[in-house]
Amino acid sequence: MHKYILKRLLLLVPVLLGVSFLVFTIMSFTPGDPAQLILGESAPVEAVAALRTEMGLDDNFFVQYARFVGKAVTGDFGRSYTSGREVFGEIFARFPNTLILAVVGVIIAVLIGIPVGIISATRQYSLLDSTSMILALLGVSMPNFWLGLMLILTFSVGLGVLPSGGFNGLKSIILPAITLGTGAAAIITRMTRSSMLEVIRQDYIRTARAKGLGEKKVVNKHALKNALIPVITVVGLQFGYLLGGAVLTETVYSWPGVGRLMVEAIRQKDTPTVLAAVVFLAAAFSVVNLLVDIMYAYVDPRIKSQYK
Amino acid sequence: MFQKMRVLLLSLVAIMLLAACGGSKEEKGADAPVRDTLIVAQGADAKSLDPHNTNDQPSSRVSAQIYDRLVEADLSMNIVPGLAESWEQPDDLTTVFTLRQGVKFHNGEELKASDVKFTLDRMVSSPTVHHIIQAVDSVNVVDDYTVEVKTKEPFGALLNHLSHTAASILNEKAVTESGDNYGQNPVGTGPYAFVKWDAGDKVTLVANDVYFKGAPTIKNVIFRNITEGTNRTIGLETGEVDIAYDIEPIDKGAIIDNSDLTLTEEPSLSMAYLGFNMKKEPFTNQKVREAISHAVKIDDIIEAVLMGAGVEANSPIGPMVFGHNPNVKAPTYDVEKAKALLAEAGFPNGFKTSIWTNDNPVRVQICQILQAQLKEIGIDMTIDIVEWGAYLDGTARGDHDMFILGWVSVTGDADYGLYALFHSSTQGGAGNRSFYGNPRVDELLDTAKSSTNPEERLELYGEIQELLQEELPVRTLYYQTQNAGMQNDVEGFNLHPAGHHKIYGVSIVK
Repeated sequence: MHKYILKRLLLLVPVLLGVSFLVFTIMSFTPGDPAQLILGESAPVEAVAALRTEMGLDDNFFVQYARFVGKAVTGDFGRSYTSGREVFGEIFARFPNTLILAVVGVIIAVLIGIPVGIISATRQYSLLDSTSMILALLGVSMPNFWLGLMLILTFSVGLGVLPSGGFNGLKSIILPAITLGTGAAAIITRMTRSSMLEVIRQDYIRTARAKGLGEKKVVNKHALKNALIPVITVVGLQFGYLLGGAVLTETVYSWPGVGRLMVEAIRQKDTPTVLAAVVFLAAAFSVVNLLVDIMYAYVDPRIKSQYK
Repeated sequence: MFQKMRVLLLSLVAIMLLAACGGSKEEKGADAPVRDTLIVAQGADAKSLDPHNTNDQPSSRVSAQIYDRLVEADLSMNIVPGLAESWEQPDDLTTVFTLRQGVKFHNGEELKASDVKFTLDRMVSSPTVHHIIQAVDSVNVVDDYTVEVKTKEPFGALLNHLSHTAASILNEKAVTESGDNYGQNPVGTGPYAFVKWDAGDKVTLVANDVYFKGAPTIKNVIFRNITEGTNRTIGLETGEVDIAYDIEPIDKGAIIDNSDLTLTEEPSLSMAYLGFNMKKEPFTNQKVREAISHAVKIDDIIEAVLMGAGVEANSPIGPMVFGHNPNVKAPTYDVEKAKALLAEAGFPNGFKTSIWTNDNPVRVQICQILQAQLKEIGIDMTIDIVEWGAYLDGTARGDHDMFILGWVSVTGDADYGLYALFHSSTQGGAGNRSFYGNPRVDELLDTAKSSTNPEERLELYGEIQELLQEELPVRTLYYQTQNAGMQNDVEGFNLHPAGHHKIYGVSIVK
C-alpha cells in the first residue's frame, strides 16, 4: 500500500509540470500585455517597453518557463506583477480560506446527500423519494450566485442573524458553505440513490434478507458499503470542483479565497499568481484524488488487494 | 470500518473549525459595528500601499489615509499647504518648499527634507508613476526643512502633480528597511497608521494620535473589500458597513428610501467619451464625426444607464479641472442635421462600422444605446466587447473604428486632462487613441504645459477646447457623478473629486 501511495505522489511531479506549462503557454499567447496593464491607459511606448524588459518578458518563451520552474522548486513563485507581493505567501494565506469553504461545503453535501439518497432508494417511488428528487433537481439547477444572494437577503438582511460577507469567524462560514454545498448535495443524493437502487437488487441482498437479517443491517452494513464506491468518486470530484470553482460564491460573499484571486490575476495577466494558484489547486486536487483512491481500498477489499 | 471513517471525518471537521476559530479576526458581533471603528467598503482590494508601486483607485483610497503630500488638493481642487507649510518660486524652473517642523512618521522618525528627496527620486525611477513626476529634473536638500525642486522646463501644473497620491511622502528609513515588502508595511505621516492587511479581505488602520493637524476622532478604520455593488448596499442595510463607496445605480433607490441611510453624490474628475479612430475611413472625414456627434442624445444615456448619475460633458475636462472652458459647447442633438452632414460627406445611406468597448457593463449598455441612436441616421454599428488587456493592446495599435473609454483628470489640471488624449506625440498606447494630430493643438498644449502664468494657461486651454469641439476627435459624453452610501450617524464625510475621500474629519454621532 505504501509503495502505491509513494508512486502516486511521485506522479504529481509530471502532472504539475504539465499543468503549469499549459497555463504558462496560454497566459503567454493570449492578448494583453502585463506591462501595459500595470501602467494603464496612458503609458508611453518607451515606458511599456522598459517595464517589459525589466520584468523579463522579452526573453524567449522557454527561457521564461525554465526560469519559473527553476525558482518554483525552491518554493519561490516570484512576485505578483500587480501587487509586488510574494506570490507563494499570498496564496498560502488565502488557500486555507478556500479549503475551509470546500471542506465544510462537502461535509454539508455529504451529510444531506447520502442519507437522503439512501432513504430515497429504500423507499423508491414514495412521496419522500419524489420530493427529494425534485429538490435535487432544484439544487443542481440553481445558480450559485442567485442562491447566495437569496440566502443573504433572508438571513442577513431579513433576519439579521448571519453576516453578509467577509470572513470574521465561524458565523461567516455558514451561508457560503450552504450555498456551495447545495449543488453538491443534489448530485450526491442522485448518485447515492441510483447506486443503492442497483445494489439492492443484487442477489446477495436477497440472500441476506432470506437469512433473517434485519432491514437496517442489510441496508447499512451490506448494501451501503457496496453502493458507496461510485459515490466516493463523486464526492471526490465535487470536492475538487469546489476547490477550484468557488469563484462565484467567493465573489458574492467577498470571501478571501484563492478562486477570486485567480480570476483577478487572469484579468490582469498576472502570470506568477495564476501559475502558482493553478499549481496549488492541481496539487490539492491530485491529493484529493489520491485520498479517494485510498478510500476505495478500505471500502472494497478487491481493490485493496490490487494495491499491494 | 465506518467507525474509522466517522472518526476521521469528525476529527477533520474539528480541525477545520479550530483553524477557523484560531484564524478568525477579532470581530465580535460583526453585525453591529463597535462605535470606535469605522468600516468602509469598496469594490476591490488595494493592490499595494506603496504609492510608487501602483496607481489604482482602491489602493489610493487606502493610502490617502496613511500618507500626506507636500501640498494637497482640497474639496474644490484648490492647492493648499500639506507637509510643506509654504513655498516660493525664485525662478520659472525652481520651487523651494519649507517643510513643517516636528511632523512624525508612524515609526517615530521625524519628517526631514531628505525624506522628500528620497521619495521624489524614487518616484522618478518607478515605471508605474514616473509619468506623474516627469517634469522634475532634480530635487535638492537645502537644509533639514527646506527642499528645492527643479523642473526641466517651466511646468505650470507642478503643484497639482505633487498633490497626487503617487507623490505621497515616504520615510526613507522605513522603505529601505522593508525592501521589497514595503507595499505591505507602509509608514506615513498621515492621520491613520497601518495595522494589518488580511489579503483580499480588509485593511485595518488605527488613528495616529500625534498627527500634525490633530488626532482623528475615530480610533479605528477598516477598509473592506466587497466586490459586488449589491453586497455593499446589503452591508449598509445590515449595519455591517458604515460607509460604502460606488453604489450601483440600481441600488441607489434602496439607500434613499432607507431611513437609516444617506446617499451622497458629488461631481468627480471622470469623463466618458466616444472616440473615433482618425486613421481609418470614414473617420478621417470631419463631417462624418460631426454627423455622429449630432446623432448622440446624451440625456438618454444619463437617464437609462447612469440613473441620473452624470452631467453632459461640454469638454474633455470637467468644471473642477483648472483650465475648463465653460463657454465651449458640445454638439447638439439634431438628427436632421446629422443626416444632412452624412449626406454631404458622401454617405447618404449611412455605412457599416463597429465600436470597441471593454466588458465594463456600464460601457456595454452605453454602446447599445449609441447603436440605436446611430441607426436613426443610417449607421449600422456592431458592438465589439473586448477583454481589457486585449482592448488596450488593440486600441494602441489602431485596430478599432470607434471606441468608448473614460479619462480621469486626477491632478485637477488641464495638462493631465488633455495632453495625453490629444497630443500627436502620445498617439496610441500613450493615451491618444483617436490618433488625432493637429499641429496648432500640439503647439498650444506644449506652450500651456510650460507656462507658469495661470491667466495665459486659461486662455490657451480655452482655445484648445474650442478646437477640439470643432474637429471632434472624440465626442465627449458625460462627467461621472460619484457617490457613497453611509449610515446616518456618520458625520463629516465628504467625497473628494479625485476619488480618494479622506476619512480624517469623519466622526460617528452617538
